[in-house]
This record gives sequence, C-alpha cells and structure tokens, in this order.
Amino acid sequence: MTVTPAAVEEEAPAEKKLDFSFPPGETELGIIAGIISAVVVTLAALPAVIKGAALIFAILWGMDSVRKTSKYGLGTGVPSIGVLAIGYGVIGTLMGLALAEYGRAGQFYPGVLVGVLVMGGIGLISGIMSNHEKLVAMKIPHLERAMMELGMTGTLIILLECSIVTGSLNFGAVLEDVIETGVIALMFIFSAFAIFHPYNACLGPDERRERTRMVAVEIGGLICILLGFAQIVIGTSPYGILDGVSLVVFGAVIWIVFFRMFIRACFKEAYATVGTGLIKTLG
Amino acid sequence: MEPTLMILILVLVVIGGLLASLGAHLLPVGGAPAAMGTATGIATGTVQIMLGAVMTGLFTASSVATLTNNLALVALSGAIGATIMISVVMLMANILYAFGCGVVPVSGRVPVDPITKEPQTPYKTPQTDGHGVPNVVFVSGMLGGFSGGLGGALMYYALLNYAHFSPNTAGIGAMSIFVPNAIIAAYNIRGTIEGFHDPKFKRLPFSLATSFVVSLLCGIVVVIAASVLGGVA
Amino acid sequence: MGLIVVLLFAWMLVIAFLAFVACTFEDLESDIGSQSNPNSQVQLAAQVGQVHRFFNKAISGEPLSNALYCATAGTITWMLLQKLEPFVPDAPWKAAVLAIPVGVLGAAMVHLIFSTTAHCGRTVAQKRFEQPLYLDVLYGHLLPIATHGYMTTFCITTIAYIQSNLGTLSGNPALNHPFALPMLGFIWGITVGSIGSSTGDVHYGTEREFQDRPFGEGKRVIYHGKITRYAECGIRTQRDIAGFCAKFGGPVTGMTFGLIILFENWRNMVGMVLAGFLPDLPAFTPTGDMTAVISIVAGLLIIAALALGNLTFVRWVRKRCGPFVGE
Repeated sequence: MTVTPAAVEEEAPAEKKLDFSFPPGETELGIIAGIISAVVVTLAALPAVIKGAALIFAILWGMDSVRKTSKYGLGTGVPSIGVLAIGYGVIGTLMGLALAEYGRAGQFYPGVLVGVLVMGGIGLISGIMSNHEKLVAMKIPHLERAMMELGMTGTLIILLECSIVTGSLNFGAVLEDVIETGVIALMFIFSAFAIFHPYNACLGPDERRERTRMVAVEIGGLICILLGFAQIVIGTSPYGILDGVSLVVFGAVIWIVFFRMFIRACFKEAYATVGTGLIKTLG
Repeated sequence: MEPTLMILILVLVVIGGLLASLGAHLLPVGGAPAAMGTATGIATGTVQIMLGAVMTGLFTASSVATLTNNLALVALSGAIGATIMISVVMLMANILYAFGCGVVPVSGRVPVDPITKEPQTPYKTPQTDGHGVPNVVFVSGMLGGFSGGLGGALMYYALLNYAHFSPNTAGIGAMSIFVPNAIIAAYNIRGTIEGFHDPKFKRLPFSLATSFVVSLLCGIVVVIAASVLGGVA
Repeated sequence: MGLIVVLLFAWMLVIAFLAFVACTFEDLESDIGSQSNPNSQVQLAAQVGQVHRFFNKAISGEPLSNALYCATAGTITWMLLQKLEPFVPDAPWKAAVLAIPVGVLGAAMVHLIFSTTAHCGRTVAQKRFEQPLYLDVLYGHLLPIATHGYMTTFCITTIAYIQSNLGTLSGNPALNHPFALPMLGFIWGITVGSIGSSTGDVHYGTEREFQDRPFGEGKRVIYHGKITRYAECGIRTQRDIAGFCAKFGGPVTGMTFGLIILFENWRNMVGMVLAGFLPDLPAFTPTGDMTAVISIVAGLLIIAALALGNLTFVRWVRKRCGPFVGE
C-alpha cells in the first residue's frame, strides 16, 4: 500500500503561552467556590443570573475534585465518580430542602446548608472506607478529601439548580416544579456531565488544567440556557419573564466565549492542526 | 412519623444497598477488554450494565406499584425485569460473538465449567482471558441481575409507600442511593469479574461493609427528610 | 373492554418497534464516533505509535451519554408541550407532533457540542505521540453522528411520550405511567446505552477494529492498540465502519432492546388480561395482586427459556467450532 507521507510534521510547534489561566490553585478555588456558592444558595431571592454564576463556580470546584482523583486511575473510568457526586447531591438536596424552614428569615434559608454539610460527612466516610487498606483499598491519595468535596459540590449544584428553576427553596415548590415535571432528570445527568465530562474529554498525558476548566465553564453555560428556558416555562420567578431571559442570554454568552476559547486553544496546542492529510507511514 | 416506619425504611434501604453491592459482584463484567474478545463477560463497565438492568427493573416495579401495594410483589417484579434484561443481553452477546467474530464462549478463570462440567482451556485463545458468556457466567449474571433489581425495587418501595414520597421523587431517590453503592462495588472489583467462581468474588465482604455504612447513612438522611416533611412529598 | 386491550396491545408493538430502531441506530452512532469500550483502542493507538484518522468521541460511557440526550430531549419536549397543548385542547397529541422533533433537535445540538469537545480534547492531550488534529475528520463525522443520534433520541423520546400518556391514548388515563416524560427518557436512555455498549460494540471492537488480524479468535493482548488503519481503499475513518456494522452488529443490538421492551410489556399485558384487571383497573385489590403474580410467573418462564436457549446455543457453537487450533 502506498501512502504519501503527510505534510504535517514540517515544523515542531514552538512553546505556546497559556491564553487562559485562572489564578487559584485547587485548594484556593475550592474555598472561593465553596463560599460563593454556599452564600448564594441560602439567598433564594437573588436573580437567576447570580445563581447561574455561582453554579459555574460550584461546577469548577467539582471538576477539580474529579480531576485530582481520576488522575490516579479509578479502575472504572472517570464518569463513575461524577455520577456518585450527583447521587449524593440529590439525597443531600432532599435533606436540605426538608430542613430549609428551620432558621428561615424571609428568603434567607441557612437551613439548606445542613444538607450540604451532612453529604460532605457521608462523602468523607465513604472516602475513608474506600481508601482504607483493610476495606476497598483503592490507595488513591487524598481520596477522602475529594469525596467529601464531591458530596458537597453535588448538593450545592442541585440546590442551586432547584433554586434557579423555582425561585425559592420551598420544598412544595421544588416538588411541584422540579421533581413532578421530571426536570430533575435533566439536572441529574447534566450536572453529572458538567463535573466529569471536562476531565474525561481532555484525558491524556498532555492534559492541561486550564483547558479542562474551559470545558467545565462551557457546560455550565449550557445548563444555564436550558434552566433559563425551564424557568420561563414554569414561570414562578418573582422577577417575571426577564429573570429567565437574562439567564438564557448569560448562558449563551458564557457558552460562546468559552467554547470558542476551548476550540482555539485546542487548535493551537495540538501537535499539528491540519485541514486534511494522510497518516504517517510506518518506518 | 412512627418509629416502626422509620426502622422499616432504614432496613429496606440498607438491604437494597447490600443487594446492589452483591449484584455488582455477581454480574459478569468484561469491561473494555471484553469488547475486543480479550476477557469473559459483558463488554461494558460494572456501573453501566448494573444501571441498565436496574433501570429496567425500576420501570417495571413502578408500573406494578400502581396496581398493588404488596412489598413482595413489587420487589419481585423489579427483580424479574432486571433479570430478563440481563439474560437477553447475555444471550444476544453470545450470538454476536459466535456469528460476528467467530469466537466460542469460554471462561478464562476456571479450567472446567463448575455447572455443566464442560472443559474451558482447550477452547481459549492464547494471550486472552476468555471470551463470550459461557454457562456458569450466564447463571451468575442472572443472579446478579435478580439481586440488583430486587435491591432497587426495595428502595423504591420503601420511599414510595413508607416515606410517602411521590413516584417521581421515590424513583430519583432510589436511584441516587443505588448509584453510590454500585460505584463503590465497582471500585472494589477494579475492572473485570466473571461471577461467583472468580477469585475476585472473595473481596465481596469489603464492599458489603462499605455499602452497609453508606446506605445506612443515606437511609438516615432520607428518614430525617421524610419525617420533617411528614408525608408532604 | 375489547377496545382498550387492542389499543394497549397495539401501542406495545409500536413501542417495541421503536425500541428496535432506537438501539440499532444507537449502536451505529457509537461506532461512527468510536464511543465506549472499543474507544480504548483508538486512544491507545497513538500511544503505541499508530497515528490514525479515527474520531475519538470520549463523551462518557454510552448509558450516561444517551441518558443525557434523551433527558434533554424529554425536557425540551415537555416544555414545548406545556406551551403548545393549550392551543389544541381537544387533541393534545397534535402538540407532540411538533414538540418531539424540535426537542430532539435540541438534544442533537447538545450531542454535537459534546462530541466536538471530546474529540478535540482527547486528540490535543496526545500531543507527545504526534497525533495531529485533522479538521476534515472532525467536521466530516459530526453530521453522521448527529443524524444517527437523532434517530435514537427521537425513538426513545417517542417511547417515553407514549408510555407517559399510554392511558390517555388508549382510553383510560389511570393507565398513564407515574413517571414524568423526562424521567422516562432518562431511564430508557440509560438502558439503551447500556445495551448498545454491551452487545453491539463487540462487533466493532472484536472484528472491524482489528480486521487485519486472524478471524475466529479473541484479540490477543499483544494486538491491543494496533488497530486497522487502512480501509478497503485508502485510509480508514469511522464512516467506513457504520456500513460494516449495519450489516450485523447494529440489527442484533436493536433486536436485544426490542426483545427486552417486548417481554417486559408483554408479560404485564398478559397479567392484566388474565387476571381481569382491564377495563375497570381495580388497583390495590386482590385482582391487582393477581395481575402482578401472573406477570412474575410469565417473567420466570421467559427467563427459564432464555437460560435454556443459552445452554443449547453454547453447546452447539462449541461443537461446531471445536477447540482452538491456531498457535
């Protein structure tokens, strides 16, 4: 078989500078994102755009936790741990919403944070048991911390999404507008994707954290678009239709900006980006 | 909420979690190597096939829960649904292996099939770990599907009829408790397993202990939520 | 009485047929994009020095990704139904004729976005193995992926719509399934993906991906990563694979899901008819219990038949093929 050598490897690409860097390291990002999303989730009266921004921070935090765990190889693929986080998140949301009425002042619901903390505790315990030498013995460094963070982010993400769609954290409203309508299925799977897809998609020896994070933000934008439409259809927001429309616009802008940024970064950082070409022949 | 109901919910959720863990260990999972005919079992990951089977079971269980409120009947319907799903998948996978790839079903972990006493080693391709779904693996898979479906349906029933959640809430809640249990079992298996005759099956107690704690805690969370809400959900 | 039974039976057959189409296209879509387990070889190929022109669609495992498309399609369909049904109050199904295709279109866009990020991200992360990013491979595969995915998602969303409105469509609203439309889409999405990944991928992974290796044996570990990169003519991309797998792998996968849906619904129907549950639907009475008992017994009979079928089949194929004779 004769195949002409590809004209792709003409020049080795020079060292490229990072065109998107987000300063905080893993721990700082966790603290910043945790505080922002925890504060926003208790204030149910905020406009949906702010909740959407906090949602993106929470997603970034979750993605970072998945990334630092999955680097060591889980044995079952990256997706499983993202689904685990959201599974914990739904349970935590049920508890947080049940306790929302305690300590409530107007539209300020500190009670929901109990659900977040409890799921953090359950995540920590399951992390300890999964990593313990005499039990499942996964031997992944810092798995305990990562599982705790995943339980917390999962709960924060689902709570924020419920709060975006219903405009409150009343269990009755969430039940009627989110769970009975089935929107919870979309939330479950899309949030799981937002957490695990970035690292799964960028997996490889030349994975770079900044590039991976662009995907997370981009998926956050997509979630905002879909939830904005859901909010418009359900129509329970105290700010009327503008709330949903602004969230859709916000999500669309975020998605366009970060999707373009990611694709450009890929084209630039690939070994070579060629329109077409044949593969290198062996030898 | 009465204390007996609370204990019933807890017990059913814990049993469901343990059954999920047991089911995940019984299912013949070949993972990525099985898709190349390099390992015995179903050519996908533990969590994936477990979720597929349990979702079918959950659908049947939720249909049956609208006809009857008998615990045994709902749970068995879910278990049978999951078993049918997994059995059809294994049979069709064998047909595909035989006619599409010319591969004979053979176990890589035992020299002789413990149930039918058929020899395995002469049929195996060298440098592989078996391929297809031989009979002992089929039986193990049926048991695994039954156990997983039973676990999912038990949790669904507990949330629906004892915690008085609505069908949608109970469905998503049962799935959310089921998923961590199946995933922790998958971490315990690490890749591939053939079923109860596999040496890795001896690791089951570790996974069961973890599942017990995780489902107990999740069950407590659900009980707190249900008792605060008092049947509103 | 007669009409409801006939309608239920007819809808059951429609659902089984849609399931057959859905899973056939699901398998072909995953082969075009190289998703799920055989993708590990595409991923490995560059690392063992085999630069290739395959599409690396590592969105996630197939169950989760199909659940994503189907839940998205279900949610958009549900939103449109909320808005459109008031216009046709006497025949709400008319709204579905518009809502389902548009909802699935939204899901197909999401599918495209995720495919793009997965292919670009995975290829770029293999920079050190000198794997270039071919733009014609990227653009050329997106449309086949989206169209095959559209077929799957469309069939699943239609199944979810029929099931969540089964009673309304056949004359007694009490027969509607208790789960909401997006939730049913999610459930069937997980199931269709899990079947497509466990059955159909074998044909692609064992046979088509290693077509220049000996036929009739499991692929040895030494071959892993050394995938067939040359097609019948020229260099292989994944568009060459769909045509091959459509001849065997896809339909067998479709039949698997079709059979599962058929068995599941059929045994419930049999229970309802034999126990006299129709047409009054006396739920939570001994008749309801009897319905469940009969359907469980029917299910046990089906399982016994399947186990016996596997026993016979394995024995037959071992006898026909004989022990391994290669080296």
